[in-house]
Amino acid sequence: MSQGLNRIALATLAFVLAAVWGLPFLYSIWTAFHPEKYSANFVWNAPLTLSNFTEAWKAAPFALYFLNTVILITTVLVANLILCTLVAYAFVRYRFRWAGILFSFVMVQLLISPEILIVENYLTLSTIGLTDTIIGIALPYLTSAFGIFLLRQTFMTVPKSLDEAAQIEGASAWRVLWTVYVPLARPVYLAYGLVSISFHWNNFLWPLIVTNSPEVRPVTVGLSVFATVESGIEWSLVNAATLMTTAPLIIAFLIFQRQFVANFMRTGIK
Amino acid sequence: MKTVYKTALPLVMGMALASAAPVAKAADLEFYFPVGVNAPAVATIEQLTNAWAEQNPQHTVKAVYAGNYEETTTKALTAAQAGSPPQVAVLLAIDIFTLIEEDVIIPITDLATSPEEQAWIDGFYEGFMVDTRFDGKTYSIPFQRSTPVFYYNKDAFRAAGLDPEAPPTTWDEMVEIGKKLTVKDENGNVTQWGTRIPNLGLAGAWLFGGLVVSKGDVLSTDTGTEARFDTEAARASLEFLQRLADEEVMAPGGITWGDTPKAFLEGQAASIWTSTGNLAFVNENVEFDWGVGFLPGGDGPGAPVGGGNFYIFKDTTDEEQAAALEFIKFMTTPENAAIWSMATGYVAPRADAWATPEMQDYAERLPQALVALDQMPHAYREFATFQRARVTQYLVDAIEGTITGETDAASALAEAQEKADDILGEYR
Repeated sequence: MSQGLNRIALATLAFVLAAVWGLPFLYSIWTAFHPEKYSANFVWNAPLTLSNFTEAWKAAPFALYFLNTVILITTVLVANLILCTLVAYAFVRYRFRWAGILFSFVMVQLLISPEILIVENYLTLSTIGLTDTIIGIALPYLTSAFGIFLLRQTFMTVPKSLDEAAQIEGASAWRVLWTVYVPLARPVYLAYGLVSISFHWNNFLWPLIVTNSPEVRPVTVGLSVFATVESGIEWSLVNAATLMTTAPLIIAFLIFQRQFVANFMRTGIK
Repeated sequence: MKTVYKTALPLVMGMALASAAPVAKAADLEFYFPVGVNAPAVATIEQLTNAWAEQNPQHTVKAVYAGNYEETTTKALTAAQAGSPPQVAVLLAIDIFTLIEEDVIIPITDLATSPEEQAWIDGFYEGFMVDTRFDGKTYSIPFQRSTPVFYYNKDAFRAAGLDPEAPPTTWDEMVEIGKKLTVKDENGNVTQWGTRIPNLGLAGAWLFGGLVVSKGDVLSTDTGTEARFDTEAARASLEFLQRLADEEVMAPGGITWGDTPKAFLEGQAASIWTSTGNLAFVNENVEFDWGVGFLPGGDGPGAPVGGGNFYIFKDTTDEEQAAALEFIKFMTTPENAAIWSMATGYVAPRADAWATPEMQDYAERLPQALVALDQMPHAYREFATFQRARVTQYLVDAIEGTITGETDAASALAEAQEKADDILGEYR
């Protein structure tokens, strides 16, 4: 009986939380497809329109911005996966002098918010002439303390015997990494990839500051044109632009949803 | 792009020195600008910068959209600290003290020295020039300047039996007329408020500055080291805001800036206090008869001015600075100031811009635009001091604390004064 009640309570809580999460999203869909007049005015037969999207699309070179964002996140993700894997592997597999101190240096980076480093990073980029380039936006993020930490913890859970068995079979260090560690950490890679992609998709201030040309700017910069504080906010336009820029992420999530959830569950259980 | 420009400049300068023949003084400008109004404004900026580049083929100019005001300032300061500042940027007029403290800008009056240039500077409205000066020098040139006005729904005035051509001019009238404009349904819920004055955040502090001006005082002086929060005028202004809520003229509690024009268009508020930057937006979307008046005042009319000015940055070559000055002059010619004003709703900052035929037509089509101009003599600078962000926050906290009922006006302002003095004491 009390178990039944518990389930009902849990289900209610789940519904409430889902509604809290979902309402703003539903609202943005509503306003994006209706004229501005209906943005706070819910009439079931309000005329539908796509003009908000066309207007938003024209307000900035979004096609170019999308391409830049894709190049940016791909660069960052590929570099992250390679570098973090190698660093984590070294920390787990090899005993070397200063390993503990080096790892603590990596961990300390988790405490520093990237915004503090904006001026310093800009100075570095400016010295090597990489401001206003996509690689310049990506450079400070090519490796990630969080990624190293996450992979190190995962690699540590790999049974030593698997590693040793592979070595007895004559596998080199590279081969052990590739055939033993990496496959076992797949769920972590997926989870990390998702977090990394959504972070860099949303990153705004840093790309805004280091870039000047539309040719290298990401979608978030295009989106910010609509944050028109001074003249009041046109919610229909803002929401159309927001939906448009987040759509690729949302669609990707829907497609891979089952896999994401399953992977998160597995990583969570460990 | 960057590297080309870096190696090309010494080359050009070297050639100029070597040959001594007249060489076109070429400069590549970077111009950072924020967007404070509507998205199409970006296109207007680009149209104007391209026109300048066409007229001056020896120069190039790159208009760089840099986010909102705050982000543009961050970007410009970051670039300046790294030794590659933009030559010219539009930043908040009230950021003058920050920019001086960081030592990144050049006074315009150090560059514009000829009598014609002096006349050009004198051609801007005094109300927009007060916050460009420090220590006897003019540091910036007004560009996208705005001031709030009183928008009111004439149909709602008629429905309440009020004269639609006589908007309130004093606080007492505002309360009296506002009470008549507040409409309730049979359940006692308010369906239309008498007025709406945004009181949250920086926008709330901006409008609050206008209330204080109308009581004959100011929140800050041109030294940048004085905040005047704990004054009779400030207390009266804050009490006026409370009184509006107490007498059911205005919704109690916090009122946001961004949703204010919409509340007006949808009839939730019979009148609003908001920027002239909304004129075009309201005019396009309005479905009733509307008018604009001066902000109702305490002892007389009073309003704040706000918005952004052109600044020229240090660490740039003489050629670049000269070209930047020419660029600013071009952007503020009567014709171009008129184009910018009509595209955005900003108040054209020069009398000669208002005299252009285009602007005259515009004023005829949208007579509401003229009200802001007429109100200009009563407007005074927006709150600005050194460490502006922190000091303004104390004022914001005092206003928000009072309207939400956490504290009373007198003690909130006294506390804000004390904190502000702590910070500003170092600068005196």
